Amino acid sequence: MLRKRVIFTLIYNDGNFIQSRNFRHQKVGNIKWLENNYKFQKISYSLDELIIINASKENKNTQDFSNCVSKLVEKVFIPVCAGGGITSMKDAEVLFNKGADKIILNTALYSNPELVKSLSLKYGAQSIIASIDYKKINNKYCVYINNGEDNIELPLDEYINHINKLNVGEIYLNSIDKDGTGFGYDLSPLSFIQNKITTPLIIAGGAGNSSHLIEGLSHESVSAVATANLFNFVGDGLPKARREMIALGVNLAKWEEYSKE
Amino acid sequence: MKIAIVDYGMGNIKSLESILKHLGAPEVNYTKNPESLFSSDKVILPGVGSFGEAIDNIEKRGLRAIIEELAIERKKTFLGICLGMQIMANSSEEAPDKKGLGLIQGNLTRFPHSKLTKVPHVGFNQVEFGNDSTLFKGLSSGCDFYFTHSFKLTNNSNIQKGICRYGEEFIAAFEQENLFGTQFHPELSQQNGLALMDNFLRAKQC
Repeated sequence: MLRKRVIFTLIYNDGNFIQSRNFRHQKVGNIKWLENNYKFQKISYSLDELIIINASKENKNTQDFSNCVSKLVEKVFIPVCAGGGITSMKDAEVLFNKGADKIILNTALYSNPELVKSLSLKYGAQSIIASIDYKKINNKYCVYINNGEDNIELPLDEYINHINKLNVGEIYLNSIDKDGTGFGYDLSPLSFIQNKITTPLIIAGGAGNSSHLIEGLSHESVSAVATANLFNFVGDGLPKARREMIALGVNLAKWEEYSKE
Repeated sequence: MKIAIVDYGMGNIKSLESILKHLGAPEVNYTKNPESLFSSDKVILPGVGSFGEAIDNIEKRGLRAIIEELAIERKKTFLGICLGMQIMANSSEEAPDKKGLGLIQGNLTRFPHSKLTKVPHVGFNQVEFGNDSTLFKGLSSGCDFYFTHSFKLTNNSNIQKGICRYGEEFIAAFEQENLFGTQFHPELSQQNGLALMDNFLRAKQC
């Protein structure tokens, strides 16, 4: 049986990793700091996948970002997805060459669908994750692009129809309202969008503890839960959460404790 | 021992290089140079992307005859991973007009989409295998490996197989003399993948 997945999303901003709350950034530390304090390699044993997003607002330097990706993926034998600010085939190529197994796209899905189709043709649909940031306003689900700054006219359900035509491999649905709050996922849109989504669905935004992860994964339409919550989950948080989830019978992959150093 | 990873321009090989390095492979070359390929002890055919583009790239670089010689005549221990495994077969629905390498018998068909089996098939899934397997030696049948693909290999009867289920059964891995293939990514499958790659490195030459 296909397992469900737990994904960690690292948010990068101009050389540092950050904690985001409702898309406002709080600097946490650079890659050295992350390595020293959180032993990222060790944490990766509790993860099914890692997503690294370049959320730099002023200057999205793909070169610097990809060097950082390259450092992070050393000795991390899990799938790594990178993205944020991909505007050309070249940007994607740089990330793939620096060790990304997949790329994640957001604004380009709306502003440059032809690029998305070309990327999918070249790297295969399974290499492309479509990220959607949304907010609930007056009971309507509104979609935002450009780091959550610009509202587009298409509502969430119609936007998903648009994305279905681009031949992507997965959808990463991120609630801006819940982002970084630790209050739990927004599961409210699932019932009305689940029949529209034909690819695996990753939900993000709001996880603060293992019961939130379990709650998210218990939805039939959810293939994976993602968290970007450095404070709650990094350190012992994730290994502990994974052990608890497996003990409770959540359908997660198992592998031996790491022995070879 | 020299390991060659065939360079035919299809996708990321960094995790593959780093797992080989981690397991202590002394020399790993990412190459399309025939001499370098022929002088290697083991060959890995990686690949991410589409079947049609992979075959086009192989033809463009004149690699078809070289791969045939490596795998069939010289009987190098040969491992195809993901798309690299797929192109070892005869054909794929993904590009019906392209001829696969035909190193093993089999064809690829697209997973049918349903509410419970979304396409692509992404994530860890269990692989069942017999206890005489070289690749899975020391692992328990039914252990988890990481998949990400939309097409599945089927209809191959007389080959040693690892089987996975997603809606229906498909071939997740195979071994036939010197030829090995995995639809999943051992280099992205944590400790289970490390164990499998270690077995590949230890596999005896034919």
